[in-house]
Amino acid sequence: MQEFLQQIVSGIASGGIFASLALALVLIYNAMGLVNFAQGEMAMLATFIAFTLVDHGVSYWIAFPVTLVVAFAGGILVQRIVIRPVERAPILTLVIVTLGLATLVNGVAGFIFGYVPRSFPSPFSAQTVNLLGAFVSYRDLGVIGVSTVVLLLIYLLLQRTTIGLTMRAAAHHPEASRLLGVHVSWMLALGWGLASAVGAVSGIMVYAFAAAVLGGIESPLGAVVGGLIVGVTVNLAGAYIPFVGGDLQLAVALAIIIAVLVIKPNGLFGRPSVRRV
Amino acid sequence: MSALLELEDVRCGYGPTSVLHGVSLAVPEGGIVSLLGANGAGKTTTLRAITGGLRWLGEIRFAGRSLRRMHTEDIVGVGIAHVPEGRGILTELTVDENLKLGAHRRKDGATAVRKDYDRVFEYFPVLRERRNLSASTLSGGEQQMLAIARAMLMQPRLMLLDEPSLGLAPLVVRSIFEIIRTFNQADHVAVLLVEQNARLALEMSTDAYVLEVGRVAVKGASAELKGNESVRRSYLGY
Repeated sequence: MQEFLQQIVSGIASGGIFASLALALVLIYNAMGLVNFAQGEMAMLATFIAFTLVDHGVSYWIAFPVTLVVAFAGGILVQRIVIRPVERAPILTLVIVTLGLATLVNGVAGFIFGYVPRSFPSPFSAQTVNLLGAFVSYRDLGVIGVSTVVLLLIYLLLQRTTIGLTMRAAAHHPEASRLLGVHVSWMLALGWGLASAVGAVSGIMVYAFAAAVLGGIESPLGAVVGGLIVGVTVNLAGAYIPFVGGDLQLAVALAIIIAVLVIKPNGLFGRPSVRRV
Repeated sequence: MSALLELEDVRCGYGPTSVLHGVSLAVPEGGIVSLLGANGAGKTTTLRAITGGLRWLGEIRFAGRSLRRMHTEDIVGVGIAHVPEGRGILTELTVDENLKLGAHRRKDGATAVRKDYDRVFEYFPVLRERRNLSASTLSGGEQQMLAIARAMLMQPRLMLLDEPSLGLAPLVVRSIFEIIRTFNQADHVAVLLVEQNARLALEMSTDAYVLEVGRVAVKGASAELKGNESVRRSYLGY
């Protein structure tokens, strides 16, 4: 039981990371009906920027917001320069463009920072505390805390503010929104900036995609719940299914994607896309 | 007195297909003008040209200022509310969020906006009841009401209405037209009304233009056109 609880808590911690990346994907999807395949690469690049800053003696608490700002600006730039020219192109073109972007960002990051994986120093200590009988590290608590705050802020921005409302409007009905005075093109760019910043908060692409699909690719709440489910499931599978171990956890995430796409294609929280004609 | 909206020899089209071959018309401050004509005559295209939905040649002036090369969102900002063909309802959002979008560019303060909300809900009580529901759950008539209410909240000087009667029951159409007339008189907002239902439009407007394949075929006072047997027969089909 103790062990089980332990795995659940660690699962929630990694789930928090998946949830924020998944949320970034959902934001982009809602901002232009597009899955950004470069999301993970952009997050990786942002992490490298933070890494370099910290490496040069910059305090973590300065490097973190600086990286967020850089990622936000980068997201806007990418939308203005790379995506905007093909905005009206068929969806397949957009998919290829973001795939190309992923390769490009990967190459640039490799060129500058090298291809050796590095682990990012955590600002939180690895010491553990006893929480309801499970041992939780401050690191995990920190991850859960930061993810929760980011998710909450994004939710409030999108659902409770006028600018969030215009962003959602611009994404779903660009023509009608223009007639209401919404600066559609800038709202889309803002969506990219936000998603890029949220993506910078976390790290691993495939898991996040699994989370976004699980929750329904249009649902912010789904992204969060999906992220947590994937985190916990992958962790539990790693601990209790002997042949999964640490190596096949990725496969479990992929299996979740496939299962969801087969059984409930619109996700747990997605609405079937029905249109009145 | 110069008109609020003036079109002078406006030509435009979609790609190589030209739709308007030189349309001139004027909407006076606070007036109601009908734009009539058969399907494909260029009525919707005329409205789209006014709010910058496509490029045009000639001249379009609003309150004395040329709208050339202005973006749609900025044209809307100077006081033209366009209720487009198909109503332009944002079905992913709630009724209230749709209304909020109508008022989101206003700078005259929350109190004034709230007052207008109350007034709009008086015109369309059903929207108050459905405030928190998704706009996709509204019936066709209710969606038309929402679109017009939203346009009212934009506090425009000119409203462009593209076939508000389309697909609605005659009784609903009557009441919507009544409300538009009330609003026009109370707020001195000019209306350019595109309609298939010529009889109704002529009853409501002071002046009318009849388009035929991208040109103004007939223009005049609505009462005159209504009384003119041959115009009615050959252009208005009733």
